[in-house]
Amino acid sequence: MVDQLPNLGREAEMLAIMGMSSIEDLFADVPDEVRMKGPLPLRDAQSEEEIIADARRLLGSNVALGERVSFLGAGLYRNYVPAAVFQLITRGEFLTSYTPYQPEVSQGMLQAMWEFQTLISELVGLPIANLSLYDGSTAAAEAITCCVRVHTRKATQKDTVYVSELTPPDRMSVVENYCQGAEIKIRLLRHNPDGTVNLSSAKDAAGSCGVYVEQPNPIGILDGGLPLLKEIIGEHTALIVAVQPISLGLVEAPGAYGADIVVGEGQPLGSPITGGGPIYGIFACSQPYLRLMPGRIVGRSIDVDGKEAFCLTLSTREQHIRRHRATSNICTNETLIALMGAMHMSLLGPEGLHDLAVRNMAACTLGKQKLASIEGIHLPHASSHHFQEFVIEVPGTASDCLAYLDSVGIVGGFDVHRWYADRPNWLLVSFTDQTQANQIELLAEHLEVWAADQGVTA
Amino acid sequence: MSHLFDHHGAPGQGYAQPAPILPASSLVLPDSLIRKSAPRWPRISEPEMVRHYTWLSKRNFGIDTGFYPLGSCTMKHNPRVNEVIAQIPGIADIHPHQPEHHLQGLLSIYHEMQHMLEIVAGMDQVTLQPVAGAQGEFTAVRCVQEYFRLRGEDQRTKVIVPDSAHGTNPASAAMCGFEIVEIPSRIDGRIDLDALRAVADETTAVMMITNPNTLGLFEADILEASAIVHNVGGQMYYDGANFNAILGITSPGLMGFDAVHFNLHKTFSQPHGGGGPGSGPIGVKAHLADFLPGPIVKKRPILADEAKHAIDDMWFGWYEPTHSIGKVQQWHGNAGAIIRCWAYYRRYGNGLTTMSQHAVLNANYLRHVLHREAKAAGVGDMIVDGAETDVAKHEFTISLGPAKESHGISAMDVAKGLLDMGYMAPTVYFPLVVPECMMIEPTETESKETLDTFARDFAKVLQVDAETLHAAPITTPVRRVDEVYAARNLCLRHPYDDD
Repeated sequence: MVDQLPNLGREAEMLAIMGMSSIEDLFADVPDEVRMKGPLPLRDAQSEEEIIADARRLLGSNVALGERVSFLGAGLYRNYVPAAVFQLITRGEFLTSYTPYQPEVSQGMLQAMWEFQTLISELVGLPIANLSLYDGSTAAAEAITCCVRVHTRKATQKDTVYVSELTPPDRMSVVENYCQGAEIKIRLLRHNPDGTVNLSSAKDAAGSCGVYVEQPNPIGILDGGLPLLKEIIGEHTALIVAVQPISLGLVEAPGAYGADIVVGEGQPLGSPITGGGPIYGIFACSQPYLRLMPGRIVGRSIDVDGKEAFCLTLSTREQHIRRHRATSNICTNETLIALMGAMHMSLLGPEGLHDLAVRNMAACTLGKQKLASIEGIHLPHASSHHFQEFVIEVPGTASDCLAYLDSVGIVGGFDVHRWYADRPNWLLVSFTDQTQANQIELLAEHLEVWAADQGVTA
Repeated sequence: MSHLFDHHGAPGQGYAQPAPILPASSLVLPDSLIRKSAPRWPRISEPEMVRHYTWLSKRNFGIDTGFYPLGSCTMKHNPRVNEVIAQIPGIADIHPHQPEHHLQGLLSIYHEMQHMLEIVAGMDQVTLQPVAGAQGEFTAVRCVQEYFRLRGEDQRTKVIVPDSAHGTNPASAAMCGFEIVEIPSRIDGRIDLDALRAVADETTAVMMITNPNTLGLFEADILEASAIVHNVGGQMYYDGANFNAILGITSPGLMGFDAVHFNLHKTFSQPHGGGGPGSGPIGVKAHLADFLPGPIVKKRPILADEAKHAIDDMWFGWYEPTHSIGKVQQWHGNAGAIIRCWAYYRRYGNGLTTMSQHAVLNANYLRHVLHREAKAAGVGDMIVDGAETDVAKHEFTISLGPAKESHGISAMDVAKGLLDMGYMAPTVYFPLVVPECMMIEPTETESKETLDTFARDFAKVLQVDAETLHAAPITTPVRRVDEVYAARNLCLRHPYDDD
């Protein structure tokens, strides 16, 4: 029996008021040829207690990363999110509201999102931020289509963008899906063997609509050459930089070295990994992109009494007004998760962000020291700078290595072979503020055992 | 007022962090990589921060605050157990790159959801990857596009949408690269079959339509419309925004559709969170299944070394269709939303039919009492139905056209008057085919008393004189907001004194 329907048992009374005798009367307009016959072949309704018991059993059988020692990151990171964030987000006024089309009764979320825009704007060093896209990959894709809209008229390489060749295939696949309709040509931006962008080949991108790079890049490298990129590609080619937002507590904000659009996976700020969603994509840009950017944006205004008030603005870019000429089809976004991000950023403050970045990088640095000294383990980018993850080359396949580590209770990282076909023995190990020194010791010990074993059998 | 950026307390007072596991001084970065100036974020203590966001929340209206009849958005109650379930570490603290044997519970729930959605939609295969309704539309149209490419039917460059369609339909199809052909609706908002026949030809790729349509009316001619499109070799796409009306009653499959998206957050109650998150799975008929984005969960026999991780007599594995269009979101969709919607589904099971019946019952009841109360109050002639019909489905439209003409009271005025009565306003000025339109969707989780009271209050608003209504709202945190000022004096972030 369903317990969510206040009018159960009152159907006859309500129908009688309408002059009807049966629920069926309400569906008289649905032709018989399309009617579903018989009850839905689905299970019976459950009570709340039964549902939560099943949820605990089924979800309890998943391996939560907190139960293990985990070095898995590769785009999503297990950071600590303060308790106040989770408590506040359950406020029904936030949780159960929708898009603030009636600003007079939506000031809370509108102001919170305007504050979010400010927090992101300050974080990445660009004047404009929207109030979230779905995730980092869709933010990257939308940034690329946006830069083509802005630049293609004057571009010498029309409808062309250059995307880092290191971009993971699953992210690239999203970009390709978003770009194909606009017939955007995607060329690959070459990288050096040390993982940094090949600046001389970046010259090829001058005159195109945009260049997409990541900082840190997908294999964890902080590229000191990126600040030179804008000068190389020129004023009329957009520099799009994807960031891990926490890294910006230490690492230069892309806006400071000429980035025109900054995107990224917002998740480390405010949100657990949650199996990869719901999370939120960051999108920030400079002035020339404002009127062709995707997504919602909040402006500060006044009410009829001249009192400060907030409302959605520049909506004429959006699908509900511009329809097929909209800058994006996005409607529902990730506002609630962005709100969690705003709350986390508020509590951190500038020094807290710095400290959090230091903790991530400290764990990574210690990890690098420990793993570099293991016999048989090689760090292909040992001399590069890393923020929170780096690649180790293992003596055997990364997949075998991960299976061994899994057998001893360690989620060892990400098998880079899933991204790059020519790298069967690269393992991407990630560290966060949650990584403890003894966990790194444990990883090192087991890697040593496994590597030694490979040596014997090889 | 509480302003986040007015807080300039001591560094790090929001929450203290443990020391790093190596001293900061041992970290090395070249100057070119080091951040030169910190973000000008506030410095706010936890007590102040909690008070700030609590204050903000009190200036926001949700379903929990009061009746939220926002048409097309299905603002039904969000059962709280779903929020508790979503915090279980087995969903909150899992990573999409973990191996299958770490995630059998998640995969089994995905499988159950795919199966349930296939049944209610009459489709052969569902993917849970798209994360919002609009993304579902985009994904499905992409699949159809690849289907035609593989068949060598590149001449199919057009997507037909009725002029009453949600804006996302043409926007999504245009993002795929299709040319949009908009056809006019009939005066009652229903599809004009002659207009459809006139444009359907060998260049038609897809027709996108929602049923019930955006006026809340069932398209009784839907089989005929499907036949027209199929006869020219096109595909039929079902916009699932209005799915709440039809569960267990009919299905897109029975209506002749080839592909459908679900707004899982609407029909299955993922809280809408001020604008998101959502979840927009799609389902397709067998001929399109090979093009879906992965991962899709399939069952197979358990291999010997998997037995210790199994939770069922079958193994749940990720599966990638042969001609998949690839990904539209990098991960496995909005897993956390899917879990909440799974819990919602379990609450109803095969009683989902009852859910839709009550959604339709409530909408028709409200439509009836709204007119009754308006008539009783002597203002019955200020509103007319958006379309002539005996019954509506889960939502209905009314036109304030007469009120505008005779009293100078617009749909927006009435909307603002309703805010003063403690309600969220219905959707206004959509669909465009109804002048001074209000689109009202009560959902099944509102009681008869709420609907009766709302109807009486609505009639009261209609009795207010135009001048007073133009000044509404007066009881809300701010009064009518100047959207033109916002657009002309763009202020998209906090203006710092030192800017």
